[in-house]
Amino acid sequence: MFDSWAIPDAVQFPGATCFSLGPEFSVRCLSIDSQWLDGLANILIEGNSTLRKRSASDLARVLGIVGSRFLEEGDPLRAKALELLPRASGLSVPMARAVLDGMAADWVEDRLSELLSNEFGTSDVLDGFVQQNGCRTMAIGADLCVQIVAGSVPGVGVTALIRSLLTKASTLLKPGRGDVVLPVLFTKALAVIDPDLAEAVAVLYWSGGSSDLESAVLSRADVVTTYGGDESVQGIRALTPVTKRFVPYHHRVSVGVIGSYALTSELVEDTARDVARAVAVFDQRGCVSPRSIYVEASGEVTPRAFAGYLASALEVLEQDLPGGYLELEEMAALQQVRGAAELIASSDSAVEIYHGGRASWTVIFDPDAELECHHAGRMLRVEPIVNRSDLAKRLGPDRAHLQSVGVAGLGAELEVLAEELGRIGVSRVARFSELPFPPPSWHHDGGNPLRDLVHWVDLEDEGD
Amino acid sequence: MTDKSSTARPPIERIPEEIEVLASELESLFSQGLELRWGDEEFEELALRAFEAQFQHNPVYRRFCERRGTVPATVLSWRNVPMVPTTAFRHLDLVTGDHSAVEAVFRTSGTTSSTTAPGRHLASRLSLYRASLLSTFRAHLLPDVEKIKFVSLIPSPTALPHSSLSYMVSTAAETMSSETYWLVDGNGVLDSARLRKVLGELALQGEEILLLGTVFAFVHWLDELGGEELPDLAPGSRIMETGGFKGRTRDITKEELYNSLSATVGLAPNRIVNEYGMTELFSQLYESNLTQLHETRVGHTPPPWLRARALNPTTLEPVGEHEKGLLAFFDLANLGSVCHVLTEDVGRVIGGRVYLEGRFAGAEPRGCSRTMDELMASRRIAGR
Repeated sequence: MFDSWAIPDAVQFPGATCFSLGPEFSVRCLSIDSQWLDGLANILIEGNSTLRKRSASDLARVLGIVGSRFLEEGDPLRAKALELLPRASGLSVPMARAVLDGMAADWVEDRLSELLSNEFGTSDVLDGFVQQNGCRTMAIGADLCVQIVAGSVPGVGVTALIRSLLTKASTLLKPGRGDVVLPVLFTKALAVIDPDLAEAVAVLYWSGGSSDLESAVLSRADVVTTYGGDESVQGIRALTPVTKRFVPYHHRVSVGVIGSYALTSELVEDTARDVARAVAVFDQRGCVSPRSIYVEASGEVTPRAFAGYLASALEVLEQDLPGGYLELEEMAALQQVRGAAELIASSDSAVEIYHGGRASWTVIFDPDAELECHHAGRMLRVEPIVNRSDLAKRLGPDRAHLQSVGVAGLGAELEVLAEELGRIGVSRVARFSELPFPPPSWHHDGGNPLRDLVHWVDLEDEGD
Repeated sequence: MTDKSSTARPPIERIPEEIEVLASELESLFSQGLELRWGDEEFEELALRAFEAQFQHNPVYRRFCERRGTVPATVLSWRNVPMVPTTAFRHLDLVTGDHSAVEAVFRTSGTTSSTTAPGRHLASRLSLYRASLLSTFRAHLLPDVEKIKFVSLIPSPTALPHSSLSYMVSTAAETMSSETYWLVDGNGVLDSARLRKVLGELALQGEEILLLGTVFAFVHWLDELGGEELPDLAPGSRIMETGGFKGRTRDITKEELYNSLSATVGLAPNRIVNEYGMTELFSQLYESNLTQLHETRVGHTPPPWLRARALNPTTLEPVGEHEKGLLAFFDLANLGSVCHVLTEDVGRVIGGRVYLEGRFAGAEPRGCSRTMDELMASRRIAGR
């Protein structure tokens, strides 16, 4: 039985009950109420005074030490994570390993220092006043940052935790249902090497959306971040007092564009393999997972044929990185889409479908976007584009939710296209091979991962 | 979505005779009510004839079957007839036989996203639909009285001409209602003042009534009443409720709704009957305690011309009798479209009865992409 919390020693243990988070994964959850959470908030806020005395670069060092343990073969922390992740997240064993490797690569000291300097120029600005832009200025982290993650891409919770801790914010993290393991393991390991720092961190899972509990912590926070579907984010936003800084990471979708240069007979298989891998990582659950691929019709390989290459690549990948467990509702959605696509393909339409039977991968060639795809498992839609400028038009209706665009074979016009995409809301254009794991300093959903969590205080010249 | 009605019309000039013959036979069987015992062999024979007709006279469905290597000669059981997912009704007009014979088009509603095409079910055999719904409605809601007053929180078919639920209620009302009050308009607005007056008068007169509504309508009404109790309805009154328990207004459990309704109108909870149906099926299932007082959860009973199965969601093979799975239905009333339909609904099938399952309690969406809630909400049956 896994304990779904890591809390400061000073906090009174409120008792715990068992809770099932999936078919093979049960956890103990703390039996908490709003009053207990309020007490926790007090302790975390008190703990902030020690956190404040540390330099940001020292925090990066300590967090990096813990983070790198998840990468170290033979380290018990990594072993524990790999043992629990498949059951906890529903990902297959090899996929869980790939996801951990990809996520934890950004949790090491070098990457965290790089993140600090990308965001702030110098991390000194978190430690005191520095001369910037003609005045002295300092970045102040929250006394308490509350982060609520709904969803279950493993690793999101730890990344969120590291970000706020780097800004010297005491942090209370409620991880997503399928992402309980990593932040708890991370925080417990942190408590061993740096007990003082751990006094400013609490990770705890509670079930569902309980507005009483959430209100209790949200009212104590200075900064609130939340990750999830639009409804969950909307719910947290509604509970958050207007005076708090609110950083929403709502529902996002990513897509891909394949230009004719990647559609030559020499390159097409490599192209399809890269796309397939971007689809397979996280079993399409990530906001970075491409849902639709737009394929230039002018290439040597036609978009329809490319859909076939993608299907083959996904089938091959099923060996190395098998798809994970789908919940009944997800399977239901998958069966609906497959059946409907088959029927449409049996009508006069140009639709074609390939799928993996018991494996979830499904490729639907859908030139007129006839089929509404509810994504479940590794499902991908392929649409031809005649003209690159059509793309912005095609994606326009989704602009509120667009995030990353994977690209291949677009040649010199990439920059022009990237700007066009940016104008309709896209915040990242990247090679397919890089798509699943953005660098730590990426402009997450177009914002700043650390700068969005601080406020600035300017000290103007006294005029002497 | 693409409406294929203009492009996919098959070149069928006349209604094929074998469909006519089968339709008349089914209509006559349906009209005999639910008392008539149907053996497995009888159902099998009719189901295979229906499949043969649909294979022959529904070209899209035929190609779909052929893609899967299924032709009537190789199908020995209705269980092996290819299933059409309910989603397909959003994209295709699945008519068996002559398109010019389509008498009505029913559309699903309850879509939360403007990009979601509504499902549509073209009825080329309204008489079969009528025969099916009348027998089941009678058996589950009015087994003991010839006629009763209908108080409907479901809009009339004039207000919602494409709603199969409105059609069902008004068709039943034609023969089983002594008077019908339509109290919700086409926009879903409840005339609560009139409802209060009607219920008050009927209670005073000691008149038995049938109160009908969707869960959404009832919840809305109960919220408006804010716990106020109305005069007790005559004890022989009954309530039909339909639709999902998760969606547009607020979440409520079935037990909460039943207790609250029961307290409001002074009827025992066993006087409340749940109807389970969908636009894509012309037959309905009912969970009725009216005649089964001692069972706590009786399940939804299908009419003898509809068979239900719970399927493994990965393999689409039947699950064990007490296991939950995706619900699939073979509905002979769907002769004019496709009989074998795979739904997204989850439940168990025990002794032929369907036990619907709620979703995994406290389930959160997996991943930071579109939530499953949005997905589920896009296809609920309330106000279908």
